[in-house]
Amino acid sequence: MNTAKKILANGISEHEAIERAQRGDAECFEALYGLHKRRVYSLCLRMTGNTAEAEDLTQEAFLQLYRKIATFRGESAFSTWLHRLAVNVVLMHLRKKGLPEVSLEESMEPQQEDGPKKDVGTRDNVLAGSIDRVNLERAVESLPPGYRIIFVLHDVEGYEHNEIAEMMGCSIGNSKSQLHKARMKLRDLLKQSKAEKAANRR
Amino acid sequence: MTCAELQKALPYIIDGGGSPEEEEHLRTCPVCSDLVADLRYIADVAKLLVPMEDPHPRVWQGIEKSLDREKLAKPARRNM
Repeated sequence: MNTAKKILANGISEHEAIERAQRGDAECFEALYGLHKRRVYSLCLRMTGNTAEAEDLTQEAFLQLYRKIATFRGESAFSTWLHRLAVNVVLMHLRKKGLPEVSLEESMEPQQEDGPKKDVGTRDNVLAGSIDRVNLERAVESLPPGYRIIFVLHDVEGYEHNEIAEMMGCSIGNSKSQLHKARMKLRDLLKQSKAEKAANRR
Repeated sequence: MTCAELQKALPYIIDGGGSPEEEEHLRTCPVCSDLVADLRYIADVAKLLVPMEDPHPRVWQGIEKSLDREKLAKPARRNM
């Protein structure tokens, strides 16, 4: 992004670019876009699996950013603040689509009936070496959005639990618990598809 | 320590390590260590998913139009 490089090459830090953007500087809007577009877009794409939706959501996230940028006070890192915005834009969109899920607040509560009760004492075939990307992508797409987003943020995008907790407005414990449930659910889905494949060969 | 107890603690220890008792259980229990192997494998394979990519230039064009319409940006200064 030429403008972004130019601005930063002139010795203007991101911090300075943010301050100028807060005063309405158009080139700094573009510079900030250039710095952050890839991560925001990738997040949207992984959550929706669809280029057109991901583009719309990326636009929406940045527009919200620019509308609110005057309120950014620097209490958290700018990128965390922006990604929190993007996460909320994505979740609202998925809820509007009416995907079957529990609300984010509910999905944050520990649920008693969840969990690998039948697995506790029995040895199961391990998955290692048997997952291909297509199956994993399909499995991730069929996760409830509350699980999906934590899995995408942590395991795919590499955010830490403390960052996720800040973005999602939950506790670190909740983030860990949700991630675990997401991985357990994926494990179930992947074992299912592995078993189906084996059954089809007979 | 039972498998049920270990698996209850698992969300909080899988990425950072647990107590000596928990680690001992994992070392000696094939059921729980298989489960952990699966979950860690899933976490690792996750990195292979859709690679990071840039959005199409039309995305910025759309943003620019809205910035104009909503008068959020002042015209760029020339002397940067």
